[in-house]
Amino acid sequence: MKILLVEDDKEAAAYLRRALSEAGHTMDHAATGREGLMLAAGEPYDVIVLDRMLPQLDGLAILRTIRSAGVKTPVLLLTALGGIDDRVEGLEAGGDDYLVKPFAFAEFLARVNALARRPPPQEMVSALQVADLRLDLLKRSVTRGGQRIDLQPREFQLLEYLMRNAGRVVTRTMLLESIWEFHFDPKTNIVETHMSRLRGKVDRGQPQELIHTVRGAGYCLREPD
Amino acid sequence: MLRSTSLRLAVLYTLGFALSVVLLGALTLYSTRAALSEQFDARIRAEAAALTQEFATEGLDGVVQAVRERDRTPGALDYGLIGPDGRPLAGRFPSSAAKPGWATLAAPQRDGEVEPVRVLTTPLPGGYHLIVGDDEERIEALDTVVLQGFAGALIGVVILGVVGGLAFSRDVHRRLSAISGTAEAIIDGDLTRRVPARGSSDDIDRLAHTFNRMLDRIGALMESLRQVSNDVAHDLRTPLTRLRQRLEAAQSAPAEQAEAIDGALSDLDSILETFAALLRIAQIEGGARRAAFRQVQLRDLAATVVDAFAPSAEEGGRSLLLEAGEDLVIEGDAELLTQMLVNLVENALRHTGEGAIVRVGVGVVDRAPALWVADNGPGVPAGEHTRLFDRFYRLERSRSAPGSGLGLALVAAVAKLHEASVRLSDAEPGLRAEVVFLR
Repeated sequence: MKILLVEDDKEAAAYLRRALSEAGHTMDHAATGREGLMLAAGEPYDVIVLDRMLPQLDGLAILRTIRSAGVKTPVLLLTALGGIDDRVEGLEAGGDDYLVKPFAFAEFLARVNALARRPPPQEMVSALQVADLRLDLLKRSVTRGGQRIDLQPREFQLLEYLMRNAGRVVTRTMLLESIWEFHFDPKTNIVETHMSRLRGKVDRGQPQELIHTVRGAGYCLREPD
Repeated sequence: MLRSTSLRLAVLYTLGFALSVVLLGALTLYSTRAALSEQFDARIRAEAAALTQEFATEGLDGVVQAVRERDRTPGALDYGLIGPDGRPLAGRFPSSAAKPGWATLAAPQRDGEVEPVRVLTTPLPGGYHLIVGDDEERIEALDTVVLQGFAGALIGVVILGVVGGLAFSRDVHRRLSAISGTAEAIIDGDLTRRVPARGSSDDIDRLAHTFNRMLDRIGALMESLRQVSNDVAHDLRTPLTRLRQRLEAAQSAPAEQAEAIDGALSDLDSILETFAALLRIAQIEGGARRAAFRQVQLRDLAATVVDAFAPSAEEGGRSLLLEAGEDLVIEGDAELLTQMLVNLVENALRHTGEGAIVRVGVGVVDRAPALWVADNGPGVPAGEHTRLFDRFYRLERSRSAPGSGLGLALVAAVAKLHEASVRLSDAEPGLRAEVVFLR
């Protein structure tokens, strides 16, 4: 996967480049807004990562410019800690996701992965299937190996999110934001308890586990090897 | 003084008024004159017609008689009768230059002076000419009266304008100086100064109030900023010191490095969390989010939070229940309100023992929409209720429990942003926290 990082902190950029290449991705780095705009508008990337605060040209200005030029590449915005209106502004300017600095690399990677393989929005599916687990979006029912599984509405949402991101790591904060719309970090382990209930219903008594915990990162629902 | 806006305005107004008085005077003079001459002309015309009639019925002698009689009456018009040979037969007009129609002639008056007189000469049968006229002195006398009246008014206007303008501009000047004096004092660093208001609610008073409100706001913002820097200085120093010690220990004991790094990361996370909470509270207190207010359904909001926390609560042996009657809608920031409720719920779950019941409620309190969280745990002594909302304030018995001491400070900040009141009360047993949206 090819990623463009527009970030003025050279050390942070070097660290991300190393970590991304270990994860099998390549990264171009632009240290100024102007350079970033040129690369973003000219080169094909899978994901563009934009820092909000940049010398010369602000990240939001770049985002608006490339969006009005018709560039549809998914954009992950990096915002400073504490800017509570940044997210809304960023998404309104055409950003696809945001991440608050400082962040863990696992979180960054999970979000970049989720953005890169995000299906086109017009694609309508009526059912999701991973191995023998099937989720019917119209009937709102779930079966595993033909056996019906009863889920609470919230558990259904959780499973749907995991299945839409099957094979990818989904972090706690991604779940908090998309399932409960909590854009802050509660101290209670609510994601863990909901996940353990869901796993109890989906995986208990099954020969193959589908939902896996990824240590230090989050969860992953994937086909058994 | 001449650079004062109010004085310039007063001078301008005085000049304007004086000009209007002059214009009005001229107009009055012109129109009274026109009306008077019209009236005089009509009188002359009527007299001439009456005497012509007299000539037709009584003959020449009758007219001569009538003219002589009228000439002797004081206050009457001026008359003259001129024969066909040009000699005056009666009256005071000597000249034979009379031509039919209107003219102005010089006529000797009773007092012997010669005055210009406006006359109407009417030809009579037989070559006689009848002259009827009125001297213009009467019109001029009236002119003088009108002119004197307006000159008096003009002087009055100018004097009143100047005196009033000076007084008015001194008053305005004094009140404006009070405002600029306050601003100067604030520039010099005294942020407690406020503009004195007179209580008359006129525009300068309103300006003073707005100015004072602006100063209050700036004061609050600066206070919040000062508070944040104080808090950062005080309360981040401890965990940062701990982090440093941990890293130093790891440096000297390579065998325990992995464990030390884990510890350092968790220290760092808690520092960042505290930092984020402080910034968030400061931003909320800054009031920047009020522009993003939308309609928020309190029952949905409470249901989401209860639904999210119920499994964790059950795992900890507590029950989390939703008590929501009618659906209530308020104007607010859903994200902040959610965080506020989450903080209250987490607080309740953290400070109660196993078997406790925590109720999240939506309803009407004091005829206003309200949210509450009540538990049946050990509660909080009444004396500590208000201090709980201070930043970093923690009860003695919960010092060792996890938490930054910022949860309720954030609750207070969110409530204040929504102009809501937060009350802690005894739930007998337990603690009840109630947010009432007064607006």
